[in-house]
Amino acid sequence: MALSPFGSRSPSMTVHSPNTAIRLRATAAQKSFTEPASAAVSKPVQNGDRELTEQLNIDVRERYVKDKKVGEGTYAVVYVGHLRHDPSSLVAIKKIKVNAEYKDGLAMDAVREVKYLQELKHPNVIALHDVFSSKDQNLSLVLEFLPGGDLEMLIKDSDIHYGVADIKAWMGMLARGVWWCHENFILHRDIKPNNLLIASDGEVKLADFGLARSFADPLFNMTHQVITRWYRPPELLYGARQYSGAVDIWSMGMVFAELLLRVPFVAGNTDLDQTSKICEAFGTPTEENWPGVSKLPYYIATDKAHLVPLQGRDFFMRQFPTAGPVGADLLMSMCALDPRKRSTAVQCLRHNWWTIEPRPTKNEDLPRKSGGTKKMGDDLTRRGGELDEGMFKSAARQLDFGMK
Amino acid sequence: MIEDDIYRASSQYRLWSYTESSLQSLRATTNAVASERVRAALRRSRETHQSTASSTAGTPLPESNTEAKNKDEKDVECLTPEEELVLVRYYCEKTLELGETYKPPIPTMVRATAIQYLRRFYLTNSPMTYHPKSIMACALFVATKTDNYYISLRQFADGIPGDTTTDDVIAPEFLLMQGLRFTFDVRHPFRGLEGGVMELQAIAQGQGQPAPHLPYETAEDLQQGLLSIAPPPVPSSSMSDRIARAHGTTRELLKSAAQMTDAYFLYTPSQIWFSAFLLADRPLAEFLLDVKLGGPVTATIPAPETDENGLVNPLYEIRSKLHHVLTECSTLLQSYTPLSSDPAQMKSLKRIAKKLYHCQNPEKVNLAAQKRESTQPSTAVQSDTGTITSESETERLAKKRKLEQEQIVRQNDDVFGPELVTQRTKQ
Repeated sequence: MALSPFGSRSPSMTVHSPNTAIRLRATAAQKSFTEPASAAVSKPVQNGDRELTEQLNIDVRERYVKDKKVGEGTYAVVYVGHLRHDPSSLVAIKKIKVNAEYKDGLAMDAVREVKYLQELKHPNVIALHDVFSSKDQNLSLVLEFLPGGDLEMLIKDSDIHYGVADIKAWMGMLARGVWWCHENFILHRDIKPNNLLIASDGEVKLADFGLARSFADPLFNMTHQVITRWYRPPELLYGARQYSGAVDIWSMGMVFAELLLRVPFVAGNTDLDQTSKICEAFGTPTEENWPGVSKLPYYIATDKAHLVPLQGRDFFMRQFPTAGPVGADLLMSMCALDPRKRSTAVQCLRHNWWTIEPRPTKNEDLPRKSGGTKKMGDDLTRRGGELDEGMFKSAARQLDFGMK
Repeated sequence: MIEDDIYRASSQYRLWSYTESSLQSLRATTNAVASERVRAALRRSRETHQSTASSTAGTPLPESNTEAKNKDEKDVECLTPEEELVLVRYYCEKTLELGETYKPPIPTMVRATAIQYLRRFYLTNSPMTYHPKSIMACALFVATKTDNYYISLRQFADGIPGDTTTDDVIAPEFLLMQGLRFTFDVRHPFRGLEGGVMELQAIAQGQGQPAPHLPYETAEDLQQGLLSIAPPPVPSSSMSDRIARAHGTTRELLKSAAQMTDAYFLYTPSQIWFSAFLLADRPLAEFLLDVKLGGPVTATIPAPETDENGLVNPLYEIRSKLHHVLTECSTLLQSYTPLSSDPAQMKSLKRIAKKLYHCQNPEKVNLAAQKRESTQPSTAVQSDTGTITSESETERLAKKRKLEQEQIVRQNDDVFGPELVTQRTKQ
């Protein structure tokens, strides 16, 4: 077990603590002798000498320079910045705003985002390079700079043309990112096109971990008020308190469908409307096709006359002809109503759609669009669970954490 | 990609895993820096005091002042790293108790996270700078947030015996998070234990799965193997009962000894639970290791088996390496006795607490006030008043310190008084 203390992936966290401590000792001694006994102009004594961790924090902070603001929301401000010693190394600095109404310390979104991004390092998950606090005790996250915008931007722009090979490339990257989260026992719980950011080299990165959490132990409850409505699976709409990575797979399926159709596939106006649209599209959940569904808190039995039979492969092939029969099969496996029958991330990745023709487009040949930095700024300042259209009154914010 | 690679990517491995010697030297450095700073701060506080005194008296007497100063300086005796560690451990035990006072009690996992936060925080911070009493409640509250057991700050503060305010709880939050280097994930040994126990229960019921390197083993073989192991330390009515008993004992060890020692800094979660399991029921734990890795390591097999090419069976190597690590970790866990149940340790704790009273950094005492100061936008006017506040603050604290010292002499039985948060942090 030869471990390096304070070893880290981040360039600025390589500060070797004993050295800092010694340097710090010198600084502290010096300060205490030069500090005037009563000086109205000088800073209060506490700021004059610093604790070891304070010094480490300052070391991190001083490694970065903020260049310009690229987005501001109620929750955060995002700047483009760079490493002080290397102006070509761009980063996004997300400064979390202190919410005056929230008296319970650091907001949960920030706690979750920091906690999970510190643990996840993967080409398809946005990298958290560093975290530091500023003098006014605001938290800043130094994130990977992703100037390519997001998938939503590409889906919505009718001037952008893309084909199934491009979709395969994007979906492949998404699936790998989600697989990595699940492999680390982390649920993302807010997968949607505008949380899928694009790097300058075309790589898709899963971002916004403000609603993420680790898998609960068996029998522990979680909240069902997560995932932006259009991407929310039926079990959450029915109020399930115990669920699995299958919730993220459903969202992935919805993103896949949206990439193919270029409009959201099931876009309900309310949670109830969302449920009925899902039933219309995929079939009505019943005890036969989903054992146990009727026991979920918000399940409403449909009378026999209005039952929509469970859709089969032919439906998916008809609805999504561009995907081809194999692609339609993968999509169907992601959209199984019963979460137990839905594919896992590993099963998705093992599907043979990835290996058949056409091959996924190479990153450098993927369609792209300018104005991505602004989009990144918007995406990183938005709170989880929100739709940009403002139709969604952020119900997902009212989390109850399930354990009260 | 194997599980080990995933663990190596975790912040627990990257930032919070040490060798025994690196851990020791880090603590020594932290202690040295803090001691120096405590002396400097006490000096400053005396100087302020003296300048106030002399200006009232009229003529200052510089020579006698210097003399007094030199004398005082010698008097400040700081805590040693070992003493700091005892103190931190005591507050880790208190954290466990504090979690128990809530209705319903805060889950063990959340409390364990809070304890690890405290232990991590005090690797780079000294109790002389920040009294653990003022950090522990915050650590538990932050753990409820990071471990998905959210209760409101108000509710949390109300649950603390005594009159702790929400401000007292939340004031050190940023400081704590900074000390944790903004890593909140703690990997515990509890889940691994649950998995191991489920596996043993399955084997006991004849539903065991063979390990990948022994594909020819049947569920019956495994069941037979389990039933023929050496008897348990405490007789039990059935195999399932025996497993349940070992499970319970191990859990207790993980809840106490694993939390209060350096186990998390030195070993991986799976090494920790296996070591605890060995202490609870050695034959049972050895059996599970045999199933997983094959071939027991005993003194009766002096030389490792080699194949026709003279190569050592890699499983044998892994097993003997593991045996060594597990033995070390078991010894560490076994060395733990709770402070509160050991009069000798309690006596020494009281001595340390008294010593801390004299070497507590006076400038770091009021965290809530400092937080208010630092979160206010700084203007010329405010920094002006800030200096004044901190000066009069120092004086006020000196008086308070004296009063409290008298009090503590009276309350000699209970080192820290009845409350969880030090009175000095209160306004």
